[in-house]
Amino acid sequence: MLSPMSSRRNSSTAFIVGLLLTMLGFFVVPLLVAMAPLERTMGLVQKIFYFHVPCAWLLMLSTFVCAAGSLAYLFRGSERGDRLALCSAELGVLFGLCVMVTGPLWARAAWGAFWTWDVRLTSSLLLWLMLIAYGLARRYGGANGRRLAAAMALFAAADVPLVYLSVNIWRGLHPTTKVVSSLAPGMRTPFFFSLAIFSALWGVLLALRMRVEGAQAQLVELALTVEDAEEKSP
Amino acid sequence: MIYVALAYGFIWGAVFTYVLLVGRRVARINAEIEDLRRRVKLGS
Repeated sequence: MLSPMSSRRNSSTAFIVGLLLTMLGFFVVPLLVAMAPLERTMGLVQKIFYFHVPCAWLLMLSTFVCAAGSLAYLFRGSERGDRLALCSAELGVLFGLCVMVTGPLWARAAWGAFWTWDVRLTSSLLLWLMLIAYGLARRYGGANGRRLAAAMALFAAADVPLVYLSVNIWRGLHPTTKVVSSLAPGMRTPFFFSLAIFSALWGVLLALRMRVEGAQAQLVELALTVEDAEEKSP
Repeated sequence: MIYVALAYGFIWGAVFTYVLLVGRRVARINAEIEDLRRRVKLGS
């Protein structure tokens, strides 16, 4: 059986290896994207697709993980679940911001406008705002802020299927969900590689953030113990 | 080309900034641990 020290060392090594592979991947992705064939109608600007879609996938994944953690916190009182929810919500805000910037850049070149109130765009913006509201509720929601935020996370998760299916139900300017399955063979490898690297980055960042949050919780506990001991000592 | 470069550059910048912010939080936690250590030493 591994001792806590060696298990911590192993997890640190795994974390550093994961981080290095992800950083390497972040340099390889643009090379693969540059080599991918040009799309006939949109040309070069279509290459934003290789970064925009993985960010959108991570926004949705973060929301689901946030909701799962919130469920564990609401119904089982799990502090770890609450920490997982907070960390994944933060990552959802980060990757949601990337979606909100890369999408309009693509739209400006493809549609001639940075923003249209298309259902996909509006529901994605709403999802991102819900995750920001989650963070604000935790910070400024007072004594019940964490529970209020956890309930909001469940509403955010309910918006995810709407975001995903909106392009199939209400046809607008945004491409439908079939775009990935109909990719040309030369576009599939860079796309799935990019998706894997972005997902790995998300995993590494989540692990890093969970460690910080765990350390913070231990610190608060220790500080309370020290204060308690100081009060009792003559 | 400029839009593609801006998009990827923004993602890099956002991730880098996030990692820096998390790093600052780690530094703050370490400083608080040091403070606790000092208090424990003074108390013992």
